[in-house]
Amino acid sequence: MPMNNTMNSGHSGARSLVVWDPLVRLIHWSLALSILLNGVVVDEDGNLHKWIGYVAVGLVGVRFVWGAVGTKYARFSVFPLNPVAALKHLTAILKGVDTVHLSHNPLGALMVYNIWATVIVIGLTGYMMGTIRFFGIEWVEKAHEIAFSWLLVSIALHVGGVIFDTWRSGVPLVRAMINGRKRIPKDRTVN
Amino acid sequence: MIERLFPIIKRERRATVLAVIIILQALCAMFFLADVIIDLSEGGHLDDIHLVFEGVAALALICGVVYLMYELRDLLSRMEAMDVGIRAARGEMTTLIDVFFDQWQLTPSEREIAQFILKGISNEAIAQMRGTAPSTVRAQCTRIYQKAEVDGRAQLLSVFMEELFHAGEAVGKHI
Ligand code: HEM
Repeated sequence: MPMNNTMNSGHSGARSLVVWDPLVRLIHWSLALSILLNGVVVDEDGNLHKWIGYVAVGLVGVRFVWGAVGTKYARFSVFPLNPVAALKHLTAILKGVDTVHLSHNPLGALMVYNIWATVIVIGLTGYMMGTIRFFGIEWVEKAHEIAFSWLLVSIALHVGGVIFDTWRSGVPLVRAMINGRKRIPKDRTVN
Repeated sequence: MIERLFPIIKRERRATVLAVIIILQALCAMFFLADVIIDLSEGGHLDDIHLVFEGVAALALICGVVYLMYELRDLLSRMEAMDVGIRAARGEMTTLIDVFFDQWQLTPSEREIAQFILKGISNEAIAQMRGTAPSTVRAQCTRIYQKAEVDGRAQLLSVFMEELFHAGEAVGKHI
């Protein structure tokens, strides 16, 4: 056992921490599913498309409340929207700093808020398209489509970022979004 | 079968069920609330008994969601305490110490010093071993205590002693 070794040198062993609670995970995969369904499977002129859209907005709504009252790593306060911190994180990555974040890293946080905001914009413009006041008005439809394209770009970047950060930090992030635990490799520092 | 593949499902069943109910109930709340708002904007009146019921239902659902969220948080924090106890009982104290240090976000040098503290080594001896001034070590200790939200050396130790004392209990309850 390397026990004495680790106790003496200040080095740490591999360990796993619970970070994502069941609500965060359920909301994440339900949101992903709803976007997959509405983007690929379901007829966009049908009623089902609308209902799935409302569900997606509802999921984001629940996540917002949970961000205020939820578990430690699900709170907005641990991953604030901070472009300056995101930029700093980017330069740290380029310098090869290999620290681990228990919640979202600052760059990831930027993307997460972007995705939530985009889903809400899509939901809002989608709702407007169905109202008498905005029915057939071109800019609403255009906004709905542009926001959806932006969401697709964002998701591509999001998944790319997850893969990259899994490689960089050595923490299997997708597994953490499934079973809730981040497995931190030995000798990595958390911040 | 599924539970064997994903042991997490069994361990987290209660929490997962709560989370599912929270989501479903929140969606229902949203539906009723939207319905009330649309009815009102289309000239409905609050003395309409149908509308009143819908409004009350929406309010009750929203209160329920918030209440269940607090319940879920409570359940999860109890589960985490139990998890810590089980790890301690299994003799995984080194891992547990790493996990606590992670949660406090100690820097590598703070980690090293904190480990010396847990071994009962004095500040002066730590300074000597690390080749730094005692005042530096004292300042770093202060940072560690702040991050761990304890008053000092004795309390830092007691954080881990407590887990050891409760370890047997937690395992007894779990089995
Ligand atoms: C439609 C598709 C998706 C959307 C809209 C989406 C959206 C999000 C959002 C909003 C979060 C923040 C979660 C929270 O704090 O509640 C997140 C996190 C995460 N997502 Fe996705 N996601 C999608 C697909 C995926 C896929 C396909 C994967 C797997 C490769 C994935 C892996 C993750 C991981 C690992 C995290 C946590 C990142 C971290 O540790 O900081 N997502 N996603």
